Amino acid sequence: MIELSGISKTYAKSAVKAVDGLSVTVKDGEIFGFLGPNGAGKTTTIKALTGVLKADEGSVRIDGVDLTAEPIAAKRRIGYVTDNPELFARLKAAEYLNFVADIYGVGDADRRERTARYAGLFGIKDALAASIGSFSHGMKQKLLVTASLLHDPANWILDEPMVGLDPKSAFNLKELMRERAAAGKTVFFSTHVMEVAEKLCDRLAIINRGKIVFIGALAELKALRGADGSLEKLFLELVDEGEGAQA
Amino acid sequence: MKVFLSLTGLYLKSFYNLPAKAAKGAKFDPKTALKTLGIGLLVLLVVGQMGFIFGASNMATYEALAPLGLQGIVLLNVAVIATVLTLAIGFLTALSTYFMNDMELQFLAMPIKPRELFAAKFAAIYLSEAAISVFFVATALVIFGIKEAPHPLFYIWGFKAALLLPLPALAISYLIQIPLMGFARFLKNKQAILLIGGVIGLVMALGFNIYYQTMLGRLQDPAWIAANMAGPDALLTKLGRSYPPAYLTWRALSAPASWDAVLSLLGLAAVCVAGPALVILGLSGRYAKSLVGFNESHIKKLGAGADAFLRAKLVKRPAFLSLVARELRMMNREPMYMLNGPFIIVLMPVILGIMVVVQRDAFLGDPDMAGLLAMMQGGAGAIVAALSGVFLGSATSITCTSLSRDAKALPYLKSLPISAGRYMLAKLVHGLAFAAFGSAMGVGLVAYALRLGLGDIAAAFGAALAMGALLNLGGLWLDTANPRLRWDNPIAAMKQNPNAVIAIFGAMGLAGGGGYLAFTTGMSTGAFALWFGLVPAAAFVALLLPYPRYAARRLAAIEV
Repeated sequence: MIELSGISKTYAKSAVKAVDGLSVTVKDGEIFGFLGPNGAGKTTTIKALTGVLKADEGSVRIDGVDLTAEPIAAKRRIGYVTDNPELFARLKAAEYLNFVADIYGVGDADRRERTARYAGLFGIKDALAASIGSFSHGMKQKLLVTASLLHDPANWILDEPMVGLDPKSAFNLKELMRERAAAGKTVFFSTHVMEVAEKLCDRLAIINRGKIVFIGALAELKALRGADGSLEKLFLELVDEGEGAQA
Repeated sequence: MKVFLSLTGLYLKSFYNLPAKAAKGAKFDPKTALKTLGIGLLVLLVVGQMGFIFGASNMATYEALAPLGLQGIVLLNVAVIATVLTLAIGFLTALSTYFMNDMELQFLAMPIKPRELFAAKFAAIYLSEAAISVFFVATALVIFGIKEAPHPLFYIWGFKAALLLPLPALAISYLIQIPLMGFARFLKNKQAILLIGGVIGLVMALGFNIYYQTMLGRLQDPAWIAANMAGPDALLTKLGRSYPPAYLTWRALSAPASWDAVLSLLGLAAVCVAGPALVILGLSGRYAKSLVGFNESHIKKLGAGADAFLRAKLVKRPAFLSLVARELRMMNREPMYMLNGPFIIVLMPVILGIMVVVQRDAFLGDPDMAGLLAMMQGGAGAIVAALSGVFLGSATSITCTSLSRDAKALPYLKSLPISAGRYMLAKLVHGLAFAAFGSAMGVGLVAYALRLGLGDIAAAFGAALAMGALLNLGGLWLDTANPRLRWDNPIAAMKQNPNAVIAIFGAMGLAGGGGYLAFTTGMSTGAFALWFGLVPAAAFVALLLPYPRYAARRLAAIEV
């Protein structure tokens, strides 16, 4: 379970709050979509949630463990797919997976079995002896997804995971999300692709200018707006209203 | 022309990592101002050192030739060396910037003529070549000017010649590289280019060192000078004649206030401009074509052996060891990091070794050296060995650039369940491993040369290790406090990182200052081991204890 309570963050070189009093709870077994226009605060929220950024205010709890008080224990419960797959170009893919497995203390049998499964699913098992620098953007993304699942985390956090993936891999990734949620695990992901959010999410949040403008199930959003349009249409209406209110 | 100028500006900003122009109304930032001032001072220091080396070299040549009435040869020597220098540096710069990144492939999709694209790159590289050439020639002009008081036109012709001499050298570099890139597919790989460039650079640097050291020795020998530098059949005259730009420069500077000088300079301009013009006119299309394919990658597939590979390679290790292994691999597999970092432990002894071998007779023949050698074998040798170990053990720039080099991966690394202290201490272990290797090399080589006893070797190694460890930890503190986190090119994290320069000068200062104190106070080997072994070791422990907490605080505050 993921609990974000009153998270606010202002970057040192900015006067504007990137995230402003944000509170979200994602229950076990739930797929939660995090939507918003560019610069809305999605990645800042995810960075605060994964311990990459220190929030100015508020608290983050992962399965009840406070991220500030017990960062190592909280991070052990997370599998994180960053939005920037340009990581360790000089490492070989297998070396990178071994490194991540060592950091999370994954045993030999588990790391081999999970690597074979996920790398096989995404079609990169054959390329694990190669240097990451020689991988395409999509292959790096698949490697990150594989690495994030090596310790079988209870909470899977993905920042724009569909970027660069081919249709088959995108389908496999969505299936994996469903499989993990069905097993009682939490899936939290940000996306720009409305169709993905519409079909996949149990609940979603829309963020604009650092504030949540909607949180709930898609059906609730439709009921609230009294409309039967697509998520894309509703999303654009909400964001436009936010822009109008600011203006 | 507008496209050419825009592209040249863009390449210049990209090559030299120039800061963006401050926005109108931007607030004054004292930290940025201090940083700019510091970098300016470092640049002045480096330029000053280069000026000293160039000046000393030209002065030595002048003083050797003037008594024989051959001082005019200095000018030919300057033209030849300016050409060789710009050819060597230009060849490597052209190679390392031949394909910068995928941005250049986007240029190919834009309505930019290949001629504009190539000419802009040529111009951007030429500017740094011209600066080096002007700087080198200027040191010779000043020395020659003070000693010979030539006509004022001498300086104007000299400046113009310095601007012209790098042009054909750079044109030759591209004349070789463009056809080579066109048919050698294996070269279309940044890694291969960096490795080849690194090796060529090292060979050139070592070759120049051998040439310079040999020349210094030979300039003491009037018979050799008469045979090789005087008269129309002399070696240098032949060399100069076989390369028209050098010969024309010599003629223009030898009698500056004559029509012959004007004609020589016009000839020099024509010859020097012709090279780039021909290369740009004739090879721009081939250059643009050769850029295609640079971003291709070839991945070796495991096939049926994939499962066996996973069984063999995916093996559990302690997390800390894994962190240290990552540090080692990330640095030593990046050619630019390795060549400018750990490789210095091998390179410096080779450079000094060349000096010792080439100048051995001169060293041993010097009456002052006999006394110095006796002093070395009488106890001072251990101090020299320790200081040489300190320098090699702390000149690798491993710890003082370690956080900066990780900038791109920092967000991901911060999300992992590892404490900031352990993550940073893995960097220290990496630095200490090379400090031990450097100390062993530095102490071992001096101990071998001076035939030191075991006690002296142990004391020297202990002191080198203690001071090297302290300097490496100091470097880590420095990069933790002020890492360079914004860069496009990984080289910027190391070569353009002020922390690396501060650490090197710190190491030189400590080694030099320590040596001065040890010699002036007549310190015994035991006292040296105490002050330069135990005291730095205690300082190391004192600095190490609070470090993990400081690292955790700093890393938490870094916004990436």
